[in-house]
Amino acid sequence: MSEKALQVLLVEDNAGDARLVREMFRSEKPGSVKLTHLSLMSEAVTHLEQGGVDIVLLDMGLPDGHGLDTVRRAHAAAPTVPVIVLTGLDDEALAASAMKEGAQDYLIKGQIENRALPRALRHAIERMRMQTETDAIRTDQIQFKDEFLSHVSHELRSPLTAIYQFATILQDRLAGELNPEQLKYLEIVLRNVKQLQSMINDLLEVTRVQAGKLVIDLQCTSASDAIDYTVNTLQGAAEAKGITLVSDIQNRLPQVCADPIRIRQILIILVDNAIKFTPASGSVKVHARISSEDPHFVVLETSDTGRGISPDMTERIFERLFRVSDSDLAGRQGLGLGLYICKELVERQGGKIWAKSFPGQGAVFCVTLPIFSLAKLIAPALRNEGSGEVPITLVIIEIGSRTGWLSNELRAEQCHGVRDLLQRCLHSNLDVLLPKMAFAGSAELFFIVAATDEIGGKAMTQRILEQLGGCEHIQQRDVIISTSYRSLEKVERGESESIEDYLRKAANRVQGLVDDEISSRMVEHGQ
Amino acid sequence: MGNKKILIVDDDPDVRHGMHIRLKANHYDTFFAADAVSSVTEARKQEPDLIILDLGLPAGDGFVVMERLKKVPSLALIPIIVVSARDARANRARAIKAGAMAFLQKPVDNAELLAVIRRALGEPAQPTEPVVHDLGPI
Repeated sequence: MSEKALQVLLVEDNAGDARLVREMFRSEKPGSVKLTHLSLMSEAVTHLEQGGVDIVLLDMGLPDGHGLDTVRRAHAAAPTVPVIVLTGLDDEALAASAMKEGAQDYLIKGQIENRALPRALRHAIERMRMQTETDAIRTDQIQFKDEFLSHVSHELRSPLTAIYQFATILQDRLAGELNPEQLKYLEIVLRNVKQLQSMINDLLEVTRVQAGKLVIDLQCTSASDAIDYTVNTLQGAAEAKGITLVSDIQNRLPQVCADPIRIRQILIILVDNAIKFTPASGSVKVHARISSEDPHFVVLETSDTGRGISPDMTERIFERLFRVSDSDLAGRQGLGLGLYICKELVERQGGKIWAKSFPGQGAVFCVTLPIFSLAKLIAPALRNEGSGEVPITLVIIEIGSRTGWLSNELRAEQCHGVRDLLQRCLHSNLDVLLPKMAFAGSAELFFIVAATDEIGGKAMTQRILEQLGGCEHIQQRDVIISTSYRSLEKVERGESESIEDYLRKAANRVQGLVDDEISSRMVEHGQ
Repeated sequence: MGNKKILIVDDDPDVRHGMHIRLKANHYDTFFAADAVSSVTEARKQEPDLIILDLGLPAGDGFVVMERLKKVPSLALIPIIVVSARDARANRARAIKAGAMAFLQKPVDNAELLAVIRRALGEPAQPTEPVVHDLGPI
């Protein structure tokens, strides 16, 4: 079999060492090896980028490159070309670290046997080829798995829909009367439908987590509302198991900066788990307070009177597909994805999650979420002004509907578009678009805090209105958009006032304006 | 006044059947189509008050159906509710943009489906109906 000539790139600045290497190929079949010798790293990089090299023999001490850096640069220029480093006797440790950087092998100068070199090269090439192939297969497999999971989840929903439809048709007596026993069995069917449905959602959510497609919409929101929602939603499940489910929320718990749908999702997973692992006549409690360790965070805590988690497992339970191995746990536990999803969701919102437990004494899960701070948000607008005494203008953008009612879908869609557009209208350092501040009845309100006076505010509302008007995608159907602005007198900074106090004062004034706007809309819409 | 007419477009016969029983019990008249082509034909023939539309259909998908309906003046204004097994996150915005009033994820809770239908038809909500809190996909 006639082989293609092996293209070897030798990067070596020492002429004597280069000659030695060249000598070693002399005994090879003529035409089977083509050796290119370069003495500078920069030349080597250019040569590698042109392609065609099968393997690199790399000296790690070059005039324009030294040590591990040479390996990194060679690897970056041609990621699939194997590199063998040439090193002196006293540098074996360095050579070993070069292998961690991606070098396939190392050879110690002066210890290379004539016949061994070509063989080492061929082995290195073969190893590299196999590794590249394995990597490609892995990438393919991950992608295949994601597509497969996504496809399967969708396909599972259709039959599940029919099961749900007909079970509820029977339950609602649309097909005739049922006796109590039949009704009880239907409840079991529907409970399982729900479980299957949430498993399908978990599967899809995990695919999104891994593809980095998790969408989180941070806003000023109430954690205690999310707790009430969760407790109401799961009260039935708790009662069915004879478990008391209660919440204990600190008075005047501050708003958090988080995604309300995601907080509910996190709490539902934690409380649902707590109910699952707590025996009859036990209790599950959701507790919320300002963190005693860091006053910038709220801690949400779920505790149960279940069997607890052994201390060495409190970290592992957040791993993907982790499932309790105890065989005496009744029945099914789900897919082992819930806590993994929780951890991702909490961390993406700037919080932390951990578990505390002593076997036999129940488990406690703690979640922290950052407290919403207007002072922190508007700081960029105020800090940019040297004097610290700036006029502040609040620009208000309102989206309403001619019909008085904006569907949730239309609302979500519109808000997204408007937010994007507003963000582009801002002076990035001087104006701050606040996250969603509250529900304001049937309208949707956006607030921009700008360090400018009345004239600046007027100009800005005009600019925004023009932009919004020219945007076909937003100006559609029944949607009405209006803008207005309100200016504050200069917020003066007292001589001895710290920047924190000053920001807090300014934030209070801005909050006052925001609250005012929201409540006037509520009155207008009779809510 | 007669019952409101709803066209159900879904390629799964069981889902169509189940939907029919549920809607009939709530005093709606139902008509059916199982693919993209016949859904437009059926809409022309029946001129329904509302269309419940699946996205995954033979001979085109729900988006194609919406596009075709928009081109027929007598059908362009019929409210459409998309009910699909497809991922809400990836399809909700697209469906709304294509002209749907709402996107509901299968399996849809009965009370939620009926509430959205009533809103789309401009009918008053039922006193026992839950407020639909859905602000987007979970």
